[in-house]
Amino acid sequence: MTYSRPWRQYFTLVVEALPSARGLLPLVALLVAWQLLQTGNSPYFPPPSDWWNGLMLLAKSGRLYPALSATTITLLLGLAVAVVIGTGIGLLIGVFPRFSRAVGPLLEFLRAIPPPAVVPVAILFMGYDERMKLTVVVLAAIWPILLNTSSAAERVHPLLLDVARSFRLSAVDRMRLIILPSVVPAVLLGIRVALPVAIVVTLLVEILTSIEGIGALMIGAQRNFQSPQVYGLLVLIGLFGLLVNNVFAVFEAILLRRWPPKTQSEMF
Amino acid sequence: MSSAEKRSDPSEKAAGPAFECRSVTVELLHKFSRKRIIEDISFLVRSGEFLTIVGRSGTGKTTLLRAMGGLTPTASGSVLVHGKQLDGPPDDVVLVFQDYSNALLQWRTVTANVAFGIERSLDRGEIEQRVHDALALVGLENNAEDYPWQLSGGMQQRVQIARALALRPAVMLMDEPFAALDAMTKASMQDELLRVRDRTGTSFVFITHDIEEAVYLGDRIAVLKGSPGRIEQIFEIGLPAPRDQLSTRQLPKFLEYRYAVHQAIGRHA
Amino acid sequence: MRKNNFIARINWPGTAVFVFVGLAWEAAVGSGLLEYEYLPAPSAIALGFGELAGQGILAPDIAHTLMSVAIGWTVAIVLGISLGFLLGLSPTARRYSLASIEVLRPMPGVAFAPVGLLLFGFSLKTEMVVTILPVLWPVLVNTIGGVTGVHQRLYDVGRTFRLSRKDTILRIILPAAMPPIVVGARISLGLALVLAVVAEMVGNPEGLGYGIVREQQALRPDLMFAYIVTVGFIGIALNAAMLALAEALFPSFRQLRGGQ
Repeated sequence: MTYSRPWRQYFTLVVEALPSARGLLPLVALLVAWQLLQTGNSPYFPPPSDWWNGLMLLAKSGRLYPALSATTITLLLGLAVAVVIGTGIGLLIGVFPRFSRAVGPLLEFLRAIPPPAVVPVAILFMGYDERMKLTVVVLAAIWPILLNTSSAAERVHPLLLDVARSFRLSAVDRMRLIILPSVVPAVLLGIRVALPVAIVVTLLVEILTSIEGIGALMIGAQRNFQSPQVYGLLVLIGLFGLLVNNVFAVFEAILLRRWPPKTQSEMF
Repeated sequence: MSSAEKRSDPSEKAAGPAFECRSVTVELLHKFSRKRIIEDISFLVRSGEFLTIVGRSGTGKTTLLRAMGGLTPTASGSVLVHGKQLDGPPDDVVLVFQDYSNALLQWRTVTANVAFGIERSLDRGEIEQRVHDALALVGLENNAEDYPWQLSGGMQQRVQIARALALRPAVMLMDEPFAALDAMTKASMQDELLRVRDRTGTSFVFITHDIEEAVYLGDRIAVLKGSPGRIEQIFEIGLPAPRDQLSTRQLPKFLEYRYAVHQAIGRHA
Repeated sequence: MRKNNFIARINWPGTAVFVFVGLAWEAAVGSGLLEYEYLPAPSAIALGFGELAGQGILAPDIAHTLMSVAIGWTVAIVLGISLGFLLGLSPTARRYSLASIEVLRPMPGVAFAPVGLLLFGFSLKTEMVVTILPVLWPVLVNTIGGVTGVHQRLYDVGRTFRLSRKDTILRIILPAAMPPIVVGARISLGLALVLAVVAEMVGNPEGLGYGIVREQQALRPDLMFAYIVTVGFIGIALNAAMLALAEALFPSFRQLRGGQ
């Protein structure tokens, strides 16, 4: 058993774990059928070939890449901030059970409010700009990360804490050497749950406010009745989401290769 | 007439053996290659007999039982129930599995679980009667409306046994049914099983890796050895009945049998 | 004894913090300490509730959103469970479809809004376009998982009792797969609410989602927050209703008890 190139092994493992490529048949068949059945110039159901042309048009006009990068940057930045703040507060809550009990009902109340509903609040408070967009993404992504972190911090096995005590670790060292590593899988799970929420909220803001981004492009295209572009951008978003999720899954697998495998991860 | 109605009392069956294996060989597919698990297995099970099968792990005990239960096909040789060759799970035979919590329907009450095998083929009155009798046989009358997950391991295993008994089978095949239980529960379950056999006349084929259990329960013991597993030896157990946990286990003959079976199983390779 | 137990079980510090935050907020706004143009005091939000209810606006909006949730969720359940069973029982069907599901799953519902608007303009149909696909996935995936996760032992039991294929599916597989299916249904319900609200923000000017956006544009933050709190309460109520329903229908599923 060689340990020399673990990341390659994990890449192979991930590729092998993917569902059979034959599963793409329904989608491909749908697209092919759509293409073949669309003879006329239907404004409602343009053929897939038109979608591609529409996207190329956008790219050539120089509007596609800025929009794509705007959405991506907001997403990544928002997630990064959410991870820092969410992990911080989560650890605080998890490590001090009395604090967690006190803050509990308040958090439960705030958690019940779906992130998209908060978007108009942010618009009202902060106006139509990038800062508002980022704030909303952070607020949306924070919850899964915070909740997962706090529950994992609370559930650090008491035996591990006993080990810390018997080795007479300082509070800082205990946090650094035992608690933090214990919550890493939970944080990653939180990020994985937060990803789709963050994407939805980002797109929602862009659609509502037409702030620079893919969503803004989409709603703009719809208002101008450029249906090929609308469909093309939809496919682009789908591929984008797929890419982001899978890249993160690989990243997570590589990062967690030193942690014991979990039998069943909790859903939400 | 449904098959369940035809069966009344197993001891009234034809005088021939309840079960017969003739040169049974079973091969299983394991990662693209066929592996021979058991080879040339031949033995009889008489009516009302308690046959125990012992052997080390990997000798194919479970595979043999599944073949007898009709769940695994044989590569060669034949399994006969009352003289008829079986293809698929036979009518008069029920399997009792080791992992009771996976084998019971956790979403049904004990009563509903016990009725599971007969609820489609008998009328209401008959079903109620049989369930009642089966629960009485295993001593679970007071838990009729509980759910399996509310019961202890021993009780859950008794539910599985009651479910099998409700069918009034001629043969019960049991795959290490008491392996997951603690020693005291195990002992009381062993005696219960013998009582059931005495009262119903059912034949038992009982797999275990516990040699003392095999000697205590069995009228005969078949020793499986090797890989692929073969019948090494069959012992006739001439211990007095009824068996008793304390006195029987102290008989010199008991120790002799125990020693002999140990020898037959052999040391580690 | 029991009364003491009940009192002891209430989260006093938690409730106290909750109430304290509310009062502090009220005091801060009232005294002019928090001078934020668009931040209303809790009392203002409560009054906003009254205003909306009194004018007969709130009830129809709630009704519209609930109807949207009901339609989307019901379709998702029917499709998800039937398709899920089909795929769960047939490895071949899975091989020729799972990849497509994995590709479609990350699609954000809101991205379908422009397509819906293109095809149906501002209407309930647009709401459905946004809601259907994302709400389908939890039920579908959980049903597939539930069916494929039925323990091998239960199949052995089915065969040893010589059950027909149909009986095996109805009497063993279906009940055994129920717990994850119900969890999937519950998740889908919550998702249906969120997506209905989103759809009403961008795709159909009716219901609670539109209410939030409308009041935001009208610069009435008190009414806007009233709408948001309403959405929150409905989410809690739907979840609780689902849990109660599951408990009533399947009393033997301890897995469903006390779970979130």
